[in-house]
Amino acid sequence: MKIKEGFIIRQVGGENIVVPIGKTGKDFHGMIKLNDSGAFLWRFFTQDHTEEEAVAALLNEYEVDEATAKADVAAFVKTLNDPRFVD
Amino acid sequence: MIYELAGLRVDIKNRCRYTSEFCKEYLSEDQSSPAAFEAAVTNEEFAAEKKESEGFSDGYIENICLYRSICLQMPKYGRFLLHSAVLEYENNAYAFLGRSGIGKSTHTALWINNVRGAEILNGDKPIIGYNEAAAEDEKFIAYGTPWNGKENRGKKGQAPLKALCFIERAKENSIEKIGIGEAADRIFSQILLPTEQEAAEKTLELMDMFVRTVSAYVLHCNMDISAMQTSFRALVGREFTNNDRK
Repeated sequence: MKIKEGFIIRQVGGENIVVPIGKTGKDFHGMIKLNDSGAFLWRFFTQDHTEEEAVAALLNEYEVDEATAKADVAAFVKTLNDPRFVD
Repeated sequence: MIYELAGLRVDIKNRCRYTSEFCKEYLSEDQSSPAAFEAAVTNEEFAAEKKESEGFSDGYIENICLYRSICLQMPKYGRFLLHSAVLEYENNAYAFLGRSGIGKSTHTALWINNVRGAEILNGDKPIIGYNEAAAEDEKFIAYGTPWNGKENRGKKGQAPLKALCFIERAKENSIEKIGIGEAADRIFSQILLPTEQEAAEKTLELMDMFVRTVSAYVLHCNMDISAMQTSFRALVGREFTNNDRK
C-alpha cells in the first residue's frame, strides 16, 4: 500500500493532524487526526510497503508485542484503504 | 486599490464597485508603495460562489470571493482567519467560537448590553496575527476587518487576543479551561485551511503556536445575564461587579 501524494502531516497542540493539499484538497475537505502509531504508519506508507513490512517497522519502533502491532496495522490499512487516500 | 488589512498592505483587484464601498474605511492613504500581496477573483471562483449564493448581486459575490482570496494568502504573513465573534474590552480581545447558530451573537450581545466599555471588534470573521517579537501574552493580535458577518458588527482596530471561548448551550452556566489537545481539535472547524502547500504548512504551524499560547475555555451557557458573568470571571480574571455595569 502507498498513500497518495497530496497530504501533509504535522503536530498541532500535540495532536497528529493530516490535511489535504493541492488537487487532493479540492476533493477531500477537512482533516484527519491520528494517534502516534497511526502517524508513524502514515509516514511509513508514504513509501510503498507491505503490511508485513509495516508490522516489522512498528515492532522496531515501539515497545509492543507482535499481536498488537499486527492489529494496529490491520486497522490502519482497513481505514486508509480508500481511493481518497491510496491509489 | 491598496487597503490596510490586519497590518498588511493588500492590493484588492475588484471589478464591481461593491467592495470599494465596503472597504473604504480601510483604504490606504499611500497608494504608491508596494503591497504585500494582491487579491483577485478568477472567473472559475466567481462562478462557483454564484452557484452557492443564488440571488445575491455580483458585487456581493465578488466581495465574498475576495475575502477568501485574502484569507488564503494571510498564513504566509503569519495571519489567519478565525471564524468567531471577537469582543474588545479594556484593550484586550476575547474570541467566542462555535458552530453557526450556537449563540455567539447572543452571548456577545449580553456583554455589549451590560459591560461598560465592551465592544465588538469583529462579529464573525476576524483575522488573527502572530507577532513573534511581542510579550508572551500578546503574541496573537485580533484585527477588525470590513468583513464582519451578516449582522455587520465590528470596528476598525486591533487588540491582543487573550483567550478563546468555545460556546455550548446548557441549562446551567459553567466554564472550564481546556488543554491544548482539545483546543487543537476544536479550532479546526473554525479556520480556513488553504490547499496550497506553503500556506497549508504555515497554517498548521500557526495553529500549533496558537493553541499553545492562547488560553482556551469551554463555556456551557444559557441566555441569562449570569452567562456573561460566568465568562467574564474566567476571561477577564475577576468578578463582574456593579462598577463594571453599563
